[in-house]
Order: sequence, then C-alpha cells, then structure tokens
Amino acid sequence: MSAPTGTGVSRRDVIRAGAAGAAFLSTAAIASPLDGARMMPPGVDSDRFAAAVKELRAVVGADWVFANAESTLPYLSTFTPDPDGKHLPSGAVAPASVEEVQAVLKVANTYGLPLWPVSTGKNMGYGNATPATSGQMVLDLKRMNKIIEVDAELGTALVEPGVTYQDLHDYLQANNLPYWVDVPTVGPIVSPLGNTLERGVGYTPYGDHFFMQCGMEVVLADGTVVRTGMGSVKNSTTWQAFKWGYGPYIDGLFTQSNFGVVTKLGMWLMPAPPVYKPFMVRHMEMADVSKIVDAIRPFRMNNLIPNCVLMMGAAYQLAMFKRRADIWTETRSVPDEAIKAEAVKNGLGMWNTYFALYGTDEIIAAIEPIIRSAFEATGGEVLTEKEMAGNPWFEHHKTLMRGGMSLEEVGIVRWRGPGGGMVCFAPVAPAKGAETAEQTKLAKEILGKYNFDYNAAFAVGSRELHHLIFLLFDKDDAAEERKAQACMEEMVLRFGEKGWAAYRTGVSTMDLVANQYGEANRMLNKRLKAALDPNGVIAPGKSGITL
Amino acid sequence: MHIAKMAMFTAGIITATSAALAAGQTKPAYQGRTPQDVYRVTCGYCHGHNVGPLILGRKLPAATIQTMVRAGRGAMPAFRPTEITNAELAALGLWIEKSKANAKEHGQ
Repeated sequence: MSAPTGTGVSRRDVIRAGAAGAAFLSTAAIASPLDGARMMPPGVDSDRFAAAVKELRAVVGADWVFANAESTLPYLSTFTPDPDGKHLPSGAVAPASVEEVQAVLKVANTYGLPLWPVSTGKNMGYGNATPATSGQMVLDLKRMNKIIEVDAELGTALVEPGVTYQDLHDYLQANNLPYWVDVPTVGPIVSPLGNTLERGVGYTPYGDHFFMQCGMEVVLADGTVVRTGMGSVKNSTTWQAFKWGYGPYIDGLFTQSNFGVVTKLGMWLMPAPPVYKPFMVRHMEMADVSKIVDAIRPFRMNNLIPNCVLMMGAAYQLAMFKRRADIWTETRSVPDEAIKAEAVKNGLGMWNTYFALYGTDEIIAAIEPIIRSAFEATGGEVLTEKEMAGNPWFEHHKTLMRGGMSLEEVGIVRWRGPGGGMVCFAPVAPAKGAETAEQTKLAKEILGKYNFDYNAAFAVGSRELHHLIFLLFDKDDAAEERKAQACMEEMVLRFGEKGWAAYRTGVSTMDLVANQYGEANRMLNKRLKAALDPNGVIAPGKSGITL
Repeated sequence: MHIAKMAMFTAGIITATSAALAAGQTKPAYQGRTPQDVYRVTCGYCHGHNVGPLILGRKLPAATIQTMVRAGRGAMPAFRPTEITNAELAALGLWIEKSKANAKEHGQ
C-alpha cells in the first residue's frame, strides 16, 4: 500500500498553524482527542489509531505520547525538501526503557502501526526526525539517556540512544578521564548511537564511527533482546573490547536499516594525546582538487595523517558565517570568481584542507616535514596556529579535530534566506584526483542548471572520500523547495550513471539510492525484513527496505 | 585485575516533569536542568556564536522563545519535550526574557 500523500496539507501549513499561537505550549504534551490535520498510518483508520494511542499511553504515560497536531509539531521540523508532504509523522511515542520499547513494539504489531525510531532526531541534512513515509509514528528514544558504563582502563563507553556527544564529553570532563569523543559536525545535540547507526563520520583519528563501535543491544520486532558480539556471553567482561564475537558478524545489519531497534551501543574512546597540532592547507583554485586528493591519499593509507581529513570548499566555508546575499545578488549560481574574492578577504582558499597530528612533540616533529613538503609540492600553503589563530574557520576545525563541541556549521542552512533549507547528497568517490575532479564538475553542472550553488566538502576516509554536497535552498519559497527536490533527484541519478552512489541519504531519496545498489541487494534486505519484522512495523522505507 | 567501572550515570534530563506545571503556573517547580544549563549545552552554540541572532538582553517574550523552540525556524531545528521538557522550557523562556546581554557573545 502506498503512503497517503494527498490531503492537500503541506508541512508549511501545519507548522504555521501550530506556531501561530503558543496555545499548544500551555496545554503541554498531553495527547488529546485526535484533531488537526495529520497523516494517518497507511491502512489504519482514526478509530484504530486512537485505540493504539490509548495503549501506548498506558505503556509510557500520557505525557510521552504525542498524537495531536500541536504536540507533533516539533517532529515535523526538517531542513530537507518535502514539497508534497510525503514525510509527515502521525505522532510520536517516547519510551524510557528497554521494557517499554518491547511493549511499544507489541502495540505496533497488534495495530499495524509503523514506528520510525530516532535517537535525538537531529539527522541534519537527511530529514531530522521525519520518516521515510508519512503516517509513521516517531519512536523517540531520547528519554533513554544513560551513559551506562565507561571503562576507565579500556577507554570504552556503553550508551543509550538519547545520550548526546555533549553528555559524553561532559561526563569525561567531570570524571577527569583522559579520553576524547569524536564528534560529527553537530556534536552537542546529536547522539553517538544515532550517528554511528547512520555510519556517520567525525574528524579525529576515531572518525569512522562504525569502525570504532563495539557491541550493541537490539530489540527485535517480536520483543526479543539481542546483544551482539561478546554481549550475549554469560558473565562477559569483553562486550566493549572485542567487536567480532563468534559466528556471523551481525552489527552491520542494524545500521542504516529497519531490522531492529538499537537500545545500547558500545564505542571506543580515543586516548587524549599529549600534543595535538592542527593544520590547514590553502589552495587557491577549484581545479586544485585533483592534486590535493592525490597528495592526501598516501598519508591516509599509511596513516601518517591519522584523522579523517576534511577538504572544505570555499562556498561551504563562507556559508557557515555569511549569507549568499552578502556575496552575490543574482539568481544564477554564484560564480567561482565571486566566491574566491570573498574567500581571500577571509583568509580562505578555494579549497581548505584540514588535518592534524597527534602524539608527542618528537613524533610530530618527525612527521610534519614529510607532509608539509608533499602539500607544498602541490602549490598549497601549509598553515598552522602560528598563521591562522583567531581565524573563525581555522578555530572551528581545530575544535572539531580534537572532538570539541560546535554547532557553527548549522549556519549554512540559512545561506539562501531566513526560511532555511538544506539537504545533503553524499556520493562516495575513490581517493583518486581525476575522478574527484570529475565529480566536482558534474555536481556544479547539475546545481548550475537549477541556479543552486556548489557548497561542498570532501571527507577523506582512507581510500575513499565522502563527497558532501549540501544543496542549500529557501524553504519559505515553495517553488524553490520543489526545485531542490528535483535537483537532488537528478544528482542521485546522474552520479549513479557513473557508478557513484551515496553512502547515506535523506528520507526523500532513500528508494532512489536503494535502486542503485541493485535488485539482488534489495531482495536480500526484503527477505531479512520479512524474517525479522513480518508485520513491517519498524521504519518501513528506511534505506529503501520494505516488506 | 579489577576493572574500574564508572557508576551508572543519568546523562540528560530528569524526566519527572508534569505537563500541569507548564499550564499557567508562573513559577514552575521544575525538576531537571537550570535554564543556564540548557542555554549552555544547546542555545548558546548558535546564539551569540556567529550562527543565530543574539537572544539575551533583548526582552524577547518567553512565549516567543517557547514557540520557536518547539516549531523550529530557518537554521534552527525544533526541540522536543524529550530534549527540553515543558518545565525546563517554561523556565528557559522566562530566563531569556529577563536576561541581560552577555558581552562575551558575538554575532548578529
């Protein structure tokens, strides 16, 4: 059955109606009789929905079921385009324990109520808390917010979904533990569990979050609680120490998927190094992208540069703290020359490559000249705190590369106007200069066709790059929102023709990207889904996976 | 070897809030974080930090703050009662309304 989309109610209408008065705030979050325009789950009429809501209230308490228009309002908030209202939740339910998650799943199975699990619901650029299809009830796990254990000797943590990087950071500080967290760009308000399940990245040597994950607890659709790796061994003391356990390695099945609800996640913490030295390499031409990638690759393969390197395009950097109208007032895409002129004024190049060295003074002194000479041979200026201290962009990346807290990159969302609007297209590129340059060219061509700008960055893993293309638009302009969706779809399809598929995608393109990974892959996921969640109650449509 | 384990720690909010508290009580006896705490770990990363507009010392009405937090706007995502409870939000709104400007903040 297809999701209903045709009520004629847009997200914009719903949000404005709710925000028009502060009335909902004085009535608090008590789920009241079903009123207002919301999207019912497919095949569930309002009586059945009301009966399900009543049972959910009995499980989690009336305060923690959100089932009217006003209380559902925060769950609608997203930066991503949704011109046809295809991603509107029917409400939300917020359990506080594993037992409550089990009970909620039981209700969902009884009533055929689809649940869209979120940890902190800040999947920025990919849909925040909004579901793949309208009518799903958000399973909001934020109340499960315990740091269950930090092992001071092994440097491991076990956390629940609602714990944020800020929580973990503050905990390490308060207990004087010599470890760093590794944050994505919006660490303070997002969840290590959620980001790791999306296979997100950060910018210290522990930047590949799923690689640094160790052990999970998962509630399956039938209520079974599974602990992965060593976690199911009686009296185990190695759940967070050894990833692989015995037999098939299953943790990956629960990332970017809808095969279960992850309620605990183990992770490794980086020992704080005695010395940390951040670098920025400045290149002045867009065409330099090829040389930069070829210079970085050997250092990521041999680990002389140990962290996930960010190559930040000038237009992305400028968007953090400036608005488009400060730089360019024409409709067509901002030309490189205009970006370059503004970049130069702010101490930036067209590409700004950030990496860091970690260890002791002796180690850094030995490695720095090798890297410095390689980058200088590409025409780049290798800069450190000596030259760049106080520059807001350098300071920002200095914070990120030591796992510090920042939300400065959220600023890019309002590039085009106060209405905000942002969706990320994140194709993977091999760490080869020529191919990276081709991706850049193709992205600029497609964005240019729609008069959007190339606000992009590359995050360099070891042998690949995530090409992070942020399509920035103005949600206050309905026509532009629709255009953004069309542009996003064209990027997915045309990059796909070249074999470049996304590593992760937002709710509005999940099916499109899943198709690019092929029929056999989709069918395997479908068979797993049917076996693990026969009623299809967990996040239908997540990563294109349905019954 | 005995492995030192940290005691279980509740990272975030204490959730024993009551919806009734937000319904018209002028001084909600909230349990949970202080407005300063909430501002430090959420608002203050953007407001006063180059990204969002300054909101301290501008006598912004508490109701406006509450609406913005729950609805989101532009680059500001919405925050749910599971993140900032109704009682915490009521206190935060009043605190921001009555706040003095902070000279250390910068931005628009």
